Amino acid sequence: MNRRNQTSVYGAALTRRGFVKTGGALMVGFGVAGTGVFESSSKAATMRNTLDASLPESWIEIHPDNTILIRTGKSDFGQSTTFTAYRQIVAEELNASFDAITTVVMGDTDRTPDGSGAFDFLGSGTPNIRKAAAYTYQALLDLASQRLGVPKASISVKDGVASGGGKSMPYGELVKGQQLKLTIPVKGDLTSPMGLTVDGNPPMKPVSEYTVIGKSFRNSVTASKVAAKEQWATDVRLPGMLHARIVHPKTLGSTLVQVGTLDKSKFPNAQVVVKGNLVGVVAPTEWEAIRAADQVASGTKWKDWKGLPGHARLFDFLKRDADWKTTRVTKSDKSKDDVSPAMSKASKKLTANYQMPFIKHAPLGPTMALADVRKDGTIYIYTHNQNPQALRGEIAMMLATQPDNIVVRTLSGPGHYGRSNGGNAGAEDEAVILSQAVGKPVRVQWMRPEDFQWSTQSPASMSDVEIGLDANGKIAAYQIDHYMPAMQDDRPIGAVLAGLPTMAAPNEKGVFIGSTVNDISDPWIYDGVVNIVERGHGTFQVGEKSSPLTVGLRDHSLRTPGQFQQNFPRELAITEAAALAGADSIQFRIDHTKPDSKDGERVINVLKSVREASGWETRTSRAKSTGSVLRGQGVSVMFRSGTYWACVAQIAVTPSTGAITVEKVTVAVDPGIVVNPMQLKRQVEGGTVMGVSIALLEELQFDESGITTRDWRTYPILKMADIPEIKVVLLNRPEVGTYGGGSEAANALAAPAIASALFDATGKIVRRLPLKPEYVQAALKA
Amino acid sequence: MATISVNGTKREVQASTDTPLLYVLRNELELSGPQFGCGLAQCGACSVLLDGKEIRSCTTTLAAVGTKEITTLEGLPARWAHQKGLSSSELHPVQQAWIEEQVPLCGFCQNGMMIKATELLEQNASPSVSEIKDAFTKSGPSAHLCRCGSYTAIIAAVQLASMQMAKGGAR
Repeated sequence: MNRRNQTSVYGAALTRRGFVKTGGALMVGFGVAGTGVFESSSKAATMRNTLDASLPESWIEIHPDNTILIRTGKSDFGQSTTFTAYRQIVAEELNASFDAITTVVMGDTDRTPDGSGAFDFLGSGTPNIRKAAAYTYQALLDLASQRLGVPKASISVKDGVASGGGKSMPYGELVKGQQLKLTIPVKGDLTSPMGLTVDGNPPMKPVSEYTVIGKSFRNSVTASKVAAKEQWATDVRLPGMLHARIVHPKTLGSTLVQVGTLDKSKFPNAQVVVKGNLVGVVAPTEWEAIRAADQVASGTKWKDWKGLPGHARLFDFLKRDADWKTTRVTKSDKSKDDVSPAMSKASKKLTANYQMPFIKHAPLGPTMALADVRKDGTIYIYTHNQNPQALRGEIAMMLATQPDNIVVRTLSGPGHYGRSNGGNAGAEDEAVILSQAVGKPVRVQWMRPEDFQWSTQSPASMSDVEIGLDANGKIAAYQIDHYMPAMQDDRPIGAVLAGLPTMAAPNEKGVFIGSTVNDISDPWIYDGVVNIVERGHGTFQVGEKSSPLTVGLRDHSLRTPGQFQQNFPRELAITEAAALAGADSIQFRIDHTKPDSKDGERVINVLKSVREASGWETRTSRAKSTGSVLRGQGVSVMFRSGTYWACVAQIAVTPSTGAITVEKVTVAVDPGIVVNPMQLKRQVEGGTVMGVSIALLEELQFDESGITTRDWRTYPILKMADIPEIKVVLLNRPEVGTYGGGSEAANALAAPAIASALFDATGKIVRRLPLKPEYVQAALKA
Repeated sequence: MATISVNGTKREVQASTDTPLLYVLRNELELSGPQFGCGLAQCGACSVLLDGKEIRSCTTTLAAVGTKEITTLEGLPARWAHQKGLSSSELHPVQQAWIEEQVPLCGFCQNGMMIKATELLEQNASPSVSEIKDAFTKSGPSAHLCRCGSYTAIIAAVQLASMQMAKGGAR
């Protein structure tokens, strides 16, 4: 990097090279420091097919016609964040209008700068794009100062027009024929799951001056989706493209014995591709590929394998047979070494075990991808993926090539809810392998049963809880031990089957995502209780070690990963402790929270808000409901990604059948600043529906060989007729000064609130999900 | 080879007559409204109207379609214009309501949701909430499924569309 004429601006290295004509766009680029793919910001030339981080156009372009383009590696899967919140945030930091941002470039690995997955979009209040905009704004002020001939401090900007010294100039004119180059430190690794992070501390606009954030702007993608004008990943077609279907192994541990013979008389244009245990069938038309694959599958022989406990034995297996010793035990920051002295003095005690099944992400569309392995070695992948840069790294590893050679384009597709946050959902690598084999673009589409049976799941878990109450009915000691198999298997399944290189399966030596370690993911929020121990116990994925394919039940993060598994037992146990203390369930929570602490005040505020909005009956004993249908109420609380959540569920249960009707769910949300009320409300409603579905219905079925869940009948999800009335209370708290996330936690709130309401209605506690009629009926009879 | 009528136009297609309509619409006619969700008539992502009745194109063969009129999401604006005697319409009121209520989250299921809403509102101009829930849950081969949980927004949008259609169309 040319370090002459360089000054440091808020952590950014600002380089002035004079103003160069560049087609009239002001572009701001970022260099990379640290252990990234790029060696340092001084290396101007980076990987091919990558935005050169030292070049200007990587993040934000301001055009002579006053329109603005932004680029983000974050792929929006329905959260609406990149199309609404990101535009609002950038508009705010640039003092431009929301409508001036006309283009959002998202996810594509050759067109966006920062990578990372579709999670934590708001970056705890400072997403990359916000800092990028803040730096850009400083550069614009410098430019305005020069063009208007007045000191920077006397420039003001409104709606993209800079004014000073009695003169004014819109951004478009300001940048015409000009270039300003900024080099900003960025840390991280582009093709790692977390991508790059913008460093430094540019000045941000004071919240008190916000005019764009806080308004309900529409999602700009909605109109094209509704009008059938959106290009979905499913729509991409390339010349000469072949359709493919995969013949997956008979079980999750079956190796190939013999491939079935393709009947060429029936399928003259089809072709079978075999690589290791990966069997694919390609054909020019989709229908021929489907039928030919069925025909080949019927003649293909696999070894049998039995290495799973079956879902009926799952928790016995986890208790007795799983290896919890090899992986180190984790402890939360707030944990004491030992709470047994306090526990032993308790006057009342709750000891309980809670169980949660494997559940599926179950995107509405099965995974698909189109790959084009070109003769020059360049590989294009068109798909819907929550982490395209990570996929790029995985494909490079699989083919022992450089990420330079790989371009991933990500287009609209069904929500994945975390499944492809590690870079793959199933079809991507298979499409690459088949395309390479046949020398043509290949589109792999999984069928519905495969998407249930060969994709990852959210891991099952169980927790042991002990709560000791003192003579005043206060929690004197709290101890929880969470047990969960590894949550994040990012190995592309096609590569695994084909015997090609992948990262290791999650193991005890792995760090962070590749690890079997079970971290504490549910922050303790009852800060009035200090005698706590929270431990996490991890193990290998179920069946993976004994599967000759090293497959077994592969897991992946699902909205509130790990936290849902830890929050359900905690919140239900707190409800049980309240009952043991003879206290109201909401008041009990308030009474264990410090009203004068920063967190405590917000926890209490969401609880009081949800109490008022839901019509909660404050009482110290359970519901006096009688008759053939019993009614009850339950509450849950969560802190996630800077946001405080509280939920009340009001339910009706028919003990004779065990059927639960969730009548009303009220959710209070305090994210600090509400960026877009309409979009946040829709996210919360959606998450609540998915949460009710998970609470009442969802459980992976599997036998000793594989997953037996295969369609929407064997994996039912909530239908419109069964949704509760949903009330969302948005608590806008500008004084907090930052904005928390809104797209995940709503999913996790319903289950503990509904289970608590069931307890309230019936006096019976059901500590195992889902609350299916047969389980509830059995529990009520016990 | 067969000739089918799609969105008011006769189209000649190459696919064998045992091919499910969905693959013909998407691959030969390059329509992007109907989506492949399950191939089992269990989710509704692939829905189209066949002579005004919602069907699942993933399990309806080309042979079964015959000469009946197919309307896809792409054809809803023209369908509305035709019904109201307008020269054209940019969007069907159902689509307009979907935008105003910001219904889609990922949006993958919404093709079928809008097709079902259109079918419902053509039969029942002002459905109650329970009639809307019934239509989306019980009236077709299966319930229309949304994994993102947009059902609340869909109900609001159907009610809005109903009001707009009573007034003669979108604003």
